[in-house]
Amino acid sequence: MTTSFPDAFPNAFPGSFPGAGGHVGEDLLASYVAGTAGTVVVWSVEAHLTECERCRSGLSAHVDAERLARNRSVLLARAATGEGGRLRRLLGRCGVPEHVLGLLAATPSLRRSWLLSVLGVLAIVAGQAAAVRYGWIPAGPGRLAMRLGGYPRLVVLAPFLLVGPLLVLAGVAAAFLPMFDPAYRLAVAAPFSGFTLLLVRAVCALAAALVPMVGAAFLLPGPGWLPVAMLLPSLALCAFALAAATLVNPRAAAVTAGILWAVPVLLLAITHGPLPVVQPNAQWACAAVLCVSALVLLARHDRFELGWMR
Amino acid sequence: MDEMTLNVRTAAVRVDGLSRRFGATRALDEVDLTLERGITGLLGPNGAGKTTLLSILATVSEPDGGRVSVFGLDPRDAAQRVEIRRRLGYLPQELGYHRHFTVAAFLDYVAILKEITDRRGRAEEVARVLAAIGLERRARTRIRALSGGMRQRLGIAQALLGEPELLILDEPTAGLDPEQRLRFRELLSGLPGDPAIVLSTHQADDIAAICPQVVVLLHGQVHFTGTPAELAATAAGRVWAADERDGRAHLSWRGADNRWRHVGDDPPAGAELVAPTVEDGYLLLSHAAVSHQAGAR
Repeated sequence: MTTSFPDAFPNAFPGSFPGAGGHVGEDLLASYVAGTAGTVVVWSVEAHLTECERCRSGLSAHVDAERLARNRSVLLARAATGEGGRLRRLLGRCGVPEHVLGLLAATPSLRRSWLLSVLGVLAIVAGQAAAVRYGWIPAGPGRLAMRLGGYPRLVVLAPFLLVGPLLVLAGVAAAFLPMFDPAYRLAVAAPFSGFTLLLVRAVCALAAALVPMVGAAFLLPGPGWLPVAMLLPSLALCAFALAAATLVNPRAAAVTAGILWAVPVLLLAITHGPLPVVQPNAQWACAAVLCVSALVLLARHDRFELGWMR
Repeated sequence: MDEMTLNVRTAAVRVDGLSRRFGATRALDEVDLTLERGITGLLGPNGAGKTTLLSILATVSEPDGGRVSVFGLDPRDAAQRVEIRRRLGYLPQELGYHRHFTVAAFLDYVAILKEITDRRGRAEEVARVLAAIGLERRARTRIRALSGGMRQRLGIAQALLGEPELLILDEPTAGLDPEQRLRFRELLSGLPGDPAIVLSTHQADDIAAICPQVVVLLHGQVHFTGTPAELAATAAGRVWAADERDGRAHLSWRGADNRWRHVGDDPPAGAELVAPTVEDGYLLLSHAAVSHQAGAR
């Protein structure tokens, strides 16, 4: 291609510029610096500049040093800000706006340490049940299993059913409780919608906890619908906590939601075994809680715009 | 519209009968205040109500009673509150940081909260405030690795994002060394656009150096509003220098010249009258307020 280039632009190469001694003329340098030169001219000027020290010196006289320094600072600031982790890049490719991804960086329940903790807890509460399923350890009837109501195989699900939704709740609570956001006063005093901020963080925290929990449920003994049945209680619990936070102190709302899940699950596990907490009656109750909480949240979402609520 | 109407400038901040209680403690007691554009220094001891007042002005806290107007906008109205926040830069007294963030990433995060959603626009703003506060070389440093003074400068930098019209700075010079304090004064004095700046401080010399207006807040009440010169003038004829300490003085301390400086109504023996400073005026006001409160009990 380069062989035809001089024909297309006769002055494209060193030695053929119209300036004195085959150097780039002042007018051409000025238009190059101002960005008004055509693409082909820019190429040829740049090709010449790589070889000609005199023209490089001449170029510096045309450069706006202040603008150059400003651009350099902007580039350095942009580089220092970084692109975020793999999750952020993945979400970006999925169409999540770049500035929304920036908000997620301050969500504690999306940090690696938190996610590893979630995985660790899940491994503990689901590990035994999974081991039973795959025959690595013998299934009941152990003394404890028998005492808990005659579910010698499924009783091993109880810790997972209790803790799984609570882990999801903890992730969402960490996404909106002021105690987990050291810079929350800045978020309060900023014009960005508090409710939007809450939803963005809560939805991502919810997804980040739900995925491993549902994944773990596939490994456990019990009915095939168990992984799906874990979704509604988790969603209802989080929606309840968010809705209650528009009425009471956010921390009290999260703690109340946790208690409202833990107490019935423990009582049912002791009296009837663990599965009733995810069977149809419980699903209907969770659906009702989810609907009412969503309505309360919609009606009172402006409370999250008030600084003293966050 | 006559000439007089045209010359009237809308007060940046107007506060009427503002009250706020924390349990039995009355943090703000019927505070009335009008702040113009320019720098206003808020002077007062710990527990005087400075932080409470500033957090209410920043729309972070809610008053129990009274009215606040910022650029004519009422923070009780949702839309107007957002508009106030768009014009606001706020440095809380104890600003927490996401310590795993780099300096630039933290500023980028705050810029998003300030609705600067365009990435290049944010980078330009971050670069601008980093240069203004002298932290360009620390852009990639994690916040946990910064010294206390650098974190304070970072706090000031985030408040400057978006070129706010109202800058509320709660103890901005705390943790800054003398050179940084001078740079901070220079920075505030040179901010473009004639913003309204309210800063609280214990440092009377900060007030004297850069604040055309000063407000003294004591026990939740405004005890003085005026210029630093007027505050200093309240102590005129009541500040003395002597070689010996005098027990009758309200306050006395040994100065750099090794002489005792007395603030009080009666001159100590052999003392000479000296020109009062802003600090003298503030200390006298503070002493009078304490005496008044003790008398009321």
